[in-house]
Amino acid sequence: MSPRIELNNIDKYFGAFHVIKNVSLSVEETEFVVFLGQSGCGKTTTLRAIAGLETIDSGEIRIAGRAVQDTRPEERDIAFVFQSFALYPHLTVYENMAFPLRAVGLRRDEVDRTVRRVADVLQTTHLLRRRPSALSGGDLQRVAIGRALVRQPKAMLMDEPIGSLDAKLREEMRVELKRLHNEQGSTTIYVTHDQIEAMALADRIVVMHEGVLQQVGTPGEVYASPVNLFVAQFVGSPVMNVAEVALGEAGGAAGVTAAGAPAPFLLPSALLGQVAAKGAAGKPLSLGVRPEAVEVALDARDGFTQAEAHIIEPLGSHDIVDVRLGQATLRARTRSGFVPRPGTPVWLRLDPGRIHLFDSASGASLGVRL
Amino acid sequence: MARIELTGVTKRFGEVAALSDISLDVADGQFFVLLGETGAGKTTTLRLIAGLDRPSEGRVLIDGQDVTNWGAAERDVAIVLQQYSLYPRYTVRQNLEFPLRSPIRPTSAAEIAERVTRVARTLRIEHLLDRKTDRLSGGEMQRVSIGRAIVRTPKVFLMDEPLSALDAKLREALRAELKDLQMTLGATFLFVTHDQVEAMSMGDRIGVLNKGRLVQVGTPQEIYANPVNTFVARAVGSPAMNLMPGEVRDGRAIMGEGALTLPVEGAPQGRPLIFGIRPEDLQLGGEGVAARVSDVENHGVEQIVTLEAGGHRLRATAPVTQRLAVNETVPMAWVPDKVVLFDAATGRRLRA
Repeated sequence: MSPRIELNNIDKYFGAFHVIKNVSLSVEETEFVVFLGQSGCGKTTTLRAIAGLETIDSGEIRIAGRAVQDTRPEERDIAFVFQSFALYPHLTVYENMAFPLRAVGLRRDEVDRTVRRVADVLQTTHLLRRRPSALSGGDLQRVAIGRALVRQPKAMLMDEPIGSLDAKLREEMRVELKRLHNEQGSTTIYVTHDQIEAMALADRIVVMHEGVLQQVGTPGEVYASPVNLFVAQFVGSPVMNVAEVALGEAGGAAGVTAAGAPAPFLLPSALLGQVAAKGAAGKPLSLGVRPEAVEVALDARDGFTQAEAHIIEPLGSHDIVDVRLGQATLRARTRSGFVPRPGTPVWLRLDPGRIHLFDSASGASLGVRL
Repeated sequence: MARIELTGVTKRFGEVAALSDISLDVADGQFFVLLGETGAGKTTTLRLIAGLDRPSEGRVLIDGQDVTNWGAAERDVAIVLQQYSLYPRYTVRQNLEFPLRSPIRPTSAAEIAERVTRVARTLRIEHLLDRKTDRLSGGEMQRVSIGRAIVRTPKVFLMDEPLSALDAKLREALRAELKDLQMTLGATFLFVTHDQVEAMSMGDRIGVLNKGRLVQVGTPQEIYANPVNTFVARAVGSPAMNLMPGEVRDGRAIMGEGALTLPVEGAPQGRPLIFGIRPEDLQLGGEGVAARVSDVENHGVEQIVTLEAGGHRLRATAPVTQRLAVNETVPMAWVPDKVVLFDAATGRRLRA
C-alpha cells in the first residue's frame, strides 16, 4: 500500500533564515503532488526534509502514520530522484539498476527479473549493456529514475528530475513519468519551477513562495481561482495580464480603467457592489485577466473597447497578440492568423466570468464572481 | 543594418562535421531564429557568422561583402550569450560604456553618455545604471547584456539562447521585449534556441537545424502547417504532432494492423506512409472511432488528452469545459484535410 505523507506545522531555519514557515500538508495514498515555486522558495528543502536529508526545527512528518522526523533516510522507505543523475560511471546501465537490489541482498534471479521489468517500463532495455557515458541526457535520466524504481518504493520524491533536459525531451519524459505513476501508484511528491510540468503531472499542486504554502489545489482550481497575485501570475502561460485599475460607474455598467488606458472596459455593474461588499471600494485594486478571457474583434462592437494590435506571436495552434490601449498593454489569445498584422485596430471585451480583482497592497484575491 | 548570407558552409571539427553544406539568407531587418536540439549546430553557425570560427568550406557574407576571413572585431556584429558576460566590479553604466570605448571605433564622451541613456531607457534599466552588476537579478543582468550589445548599433545581432537561463515568467516578458526592440531598431537579429515557443513567437523566419543540416526555412506558420519531414513536424508544436505509420485503402487511412482507420483525402493507395495530425485537429465526441482516454492534463486554458486507439498513443487538445475521465472510451475523429502525409521510408512530406 502506498503511504500517506503528512506534514504538520513544519518549520526550518538555515541560521537566521526562515526557509520553511509553518507548512502543513497531507499527501494522500497514491497521490501525485507537485511543489511549484521559484528557486529559493523552500520547495526542495521541504522535499529533502521528507526524505530525511534535512532535519526540521519543529513540527512533525508522518509517513504511513508513523512519525519519521527523527529517523534516518534509509528507514523511511522512500526513493529519491535528483536533477543531477548520480549514476556510477564505471558500471553498465544494468549494474547501475541492479545496485540498490544487490545492496539489500536480493537473490540473483530476482535482481535480474526486477531490472528487466523496470527497464521494459522505461523503454531502456536496449541500453542495459551500455555505460552511462554512452547515453544521451534523456536516457541517463530514464536510467536514474529506473534505479529509483527497482526497489518498488511506495513513495517517490523527485527534485526537478527532468529540469536539465531539452524542451522536447522534457515533454516526452513528462508523459513517461505520468504513465509510470499511473501504473505503479506510488505516492509521489515532485518539485519543479516549471508550471507546465506541474499542470501536466499533478493531482494537486502546492504553490510555494518564500517558505509559505500559498495555495493547494487541483491544476484546474489553481488556474481558475488563484488566491493571490503570486499564484495568478505563476501559473499559466502566457502569464495572466495584471494591471492597476480604477473602478467607476460607466453608463449603467462598471467601468474598469487600466492605468495608462484612455478608455474603460465595461463589466456588469454587479462588480461595484461586490467590491463594496468586500470592503475594498477605494482601495488600490489590480485587475487580472488571462489571455484567453480577452475577446478580440476586428470591428467596433457594443460594449467593446478600442485598442491596437502590437506584436503577434504565432504559436501554430493559436496566436498570442499584444494589444495596446494607450500606455497599457494586454495579451490576448486568438485563433491562428486572426489579427492580420501589427498595427491593426482591434476591439476588446473581457469575459466577466473570468476576471479577477486583487487587493494591490496585499495581493489577495477579492474573490469576485460575475 | 545588414543582410547575412551563408553559402555552402561546412564546418568540421576533426572528423566530425558539425555543419554540412549550410546555405542561408537572412534579409536586412529580419528576426531570424535557428531552432535545433543540443548538438544540432546552432551555436557553431552563430560563431561562424560572428567570426569566432572559420568555416572549413563555404563563405559568409554580410551586406554582400565576403567576410569569411575577417576577424570578429572587423565584422561589426554584437553577441548576447546565455551566460551574461558582464564585468562584475563595474557598474551597469560602465558595462554599457565599455563597447563604445573600443579603440577600433572611437566615440566622443558626449555621444557615449547619450547612447547609454537611450539604451537604458529602451531596456528600462535607467534606475540600475549606478549599481554594480553583481547586485542585479538574472533578468536585469540579461537586460544589461542586451544593452551592451545594442549600445554600439552594430550591423547584426547574434543571440545564443539568451533567455534560457531565466525563469519562465521573465523569459516570456523578455521574449516580447526583444521582439519589440528588434522592430524598433529595425535591425537584423539571428537568434539561436532549442525552445520552439521562442522560435515561433519571435521569428519572422525560422531555420530548423538537425545534425548539422538545415532541414527547413520558413515563416512560423509555414513550418507549423507544412513541415517538410517528420523531424520538423515533431520540432514545432506542443504537444507534438501525432505521427502514425500505415497506408491507404479504399479512401481510408489504415494505421497498424487495421486497428485504427479514419477517412483521408487525396492520398496514394498501397504505399507505406506516416499520417500526421496535430493535437488540435483531433476531435473527441460526436462520430468517430473508439479511443480510450489514458490521461487528462488540465492546463487551465485547455486540456491535453492522451488517448489509446488501435495500439497507437495519440495526444489531443480539448476545451476545459469538455468532461473527460481516465479509462473512459470516447469517439475520436480527425479533420481529414488537416492530415499531413509523409513517406514512411524517408520521412519526407508528400506533395500536398
